[in-house]
Amino acid sequence: MIPSIDDRLASVVRALTEVILPHLPPEASLAREQAHLSIGHLQILRAQIDAAPAFEREELADAVALARTLGEAMTGHDTPRAALAAAAGKAEAVDSANGGQVREQCLAVNQAIEALIAAVSANGNAADQARMTALVIGHEQARAHKDRVWCAPFGFDTL
Amino acid sequence: MNDLSDMEAVHRRILDRRRTNRDLPPYRAALIPDVTQILASYFARLHPGSTVSGVRRVGGGASKEQFFFTLTRDGTDEQFLLRMDPQLAITETDREREFVLLGAMNGIVPVPEAAWVDPTGAHFPQAAAIMKVVSGVTKPSDAGMKVSGLGTWLGEDLRGKLRDQFLDILVRIHAYDWRANPLPGFEAPDADPRQAARWSFNYWRALWQIDQGETRPIVALAEQWLANNMPDCSPQDLVVTHGDYRTGNYLFDEESGQITAVLDWELARIGDFHEDLAWVLMQAFGTIDNGTFRASDLYEREEFIAAYERASGRTVNRRTLHFYDIMSSWKCYVIVAANGIAAARSQHNHQDVLLTFLAATVAMFADDLVRLLRQGQPA
Repeated sequence: MIPSIDDRLASVVRALTEVILPHLPPEASLAREQAHLSIGHLQILRAQIDAAPAFEREELADAVALARTLGEAMTGHDTPRAALAAAAGKAEAVDSANGGQVREQCLAVNQAIEALIAAVSANGNAADQARMTALVIGHEQARAHKDRVWCAPFGFDTL
Repeated sequence: MNDLSDMEAVHRRILDRRRTNRDLPPYRAALIPDVTQILASYFARLHPGSTVSGVRRVGGGASKEQFFFTLTRDGTDEQFLLRMDPQLAITETDREREFVLLGAMNGIVPVPEAAWVDPTGAHFPQAAAIMKVVSGVTKPSDAGMKVSGLGTWLGEDLRGKLRDQFLDILVRIHAYDWRANPLPGFEAPDADPRQAARWSFNYWRALWQIDQGETRPIVALAEQWLANNMPDCSPQDLVVTHGDYRTGNYLFDEESGQITAVLDWELARIGDFHEDLAWVLMQAFGTIDNGTFRASDLYEREEFIAAYERASGRTVNRRTLHFYDIMSSWKCYVIVAANGIAAARSQHNHQDVLLTFLAATVAMFADDLVRLLRQGQPA
């Protein structure tokens, strides 16, 4: 048996809440604020940690799906489309158990998408530009909703 | 073709500073005894015989290190606020510029009285400004713990007391005659009709690049859309913009509901008045009450636009406002996803844990961009 990550985080939260925070003087406002924020962060981490790998894999899968769709839908722009296909291919081959690689490949795919968006916006034809805009908005509408749900525990969103 | 280097000279200097500061060693939050000593030595030179006491940190805020203190001169106690840059902030700005503007706005709208400034950090560890303390709160005492002004709930009573003042102050800021009363260090984007939009776009785009913001498709699309859809701004629409005008950035007396000071002028510039309106109307800074959005918990969107037009005599161009709606959400994305995260990662700020907490708002701003870009240009 090893101590679970949740047990360890819970013990840190309790130490901060019940031992450290009460001993901070009222005038130590920055320290008190940051202790509260640290507790909040840790509670959210506890709630998210088990689901985080799946969330990040889905994020990568969504990015790859958009990359493939954009690559097929655009005409011309051979260089950024080839780079996009290469990034998507590399991402599909990633070791999905390795969180660092998943995040790294997701960023690489998004960067390749960005390059294609810049190229099509700068000198694509009107039909490609309209298709690209619709595809990106459609993809991001779903993606942003997932992200908002994920970030809801932070308490900023009126979702 | 957009000239990406076209921006105010002060912004070029700020960008240079941001690039340079990235290589500095980690920053540590200032300690009260150190701040007391720095203030004491500062005033020993300026006002021999004066004493500094009661230094205490100001809570809240996401950007600067702030401390209240008492300065005793000739037997008289005065309360001041020291506002000091960290090494890297979530918004990279210029203390002297803010200082100039506070001086210019004094007597026009309620502002803290600017007292001293150290624009380059010649005496203080970083650039710093000192202003007189104004009484008031940024949110009702029963509003619960919030890390900044995002979504501050005022309630019906305070809303009734604050809304006309909020509008009136914005109209008076926009009515400031910067041509007759020039603001040192402020340049006007009047070389061509699109320079106002271009300066803003270029500055935030450069910040995004310097801080290596992690892109996502909607942000890339928004950036291209902004570059391709910059609106014209007529000379009469060039005003002093506050830059961060919203509930949370003014002080009010909780009992009377009187606004006692407008704060956080650091993003002010001469620009298109629509830029301020779009910022006021950002969903993230408002509240949703039974499905109804209220900007800064004061006005519904159309109600605010109509009230502004009536009070200012200006006409709001819906296409220009749409451009700045997108610009506002994109700017917020840059601030939280690039500037805040870069400051935290490089350990160059005094509240990294707040910056990473605030970064969770990226999803809201991405969703705003989706909604606005899907909506398309108004007719």
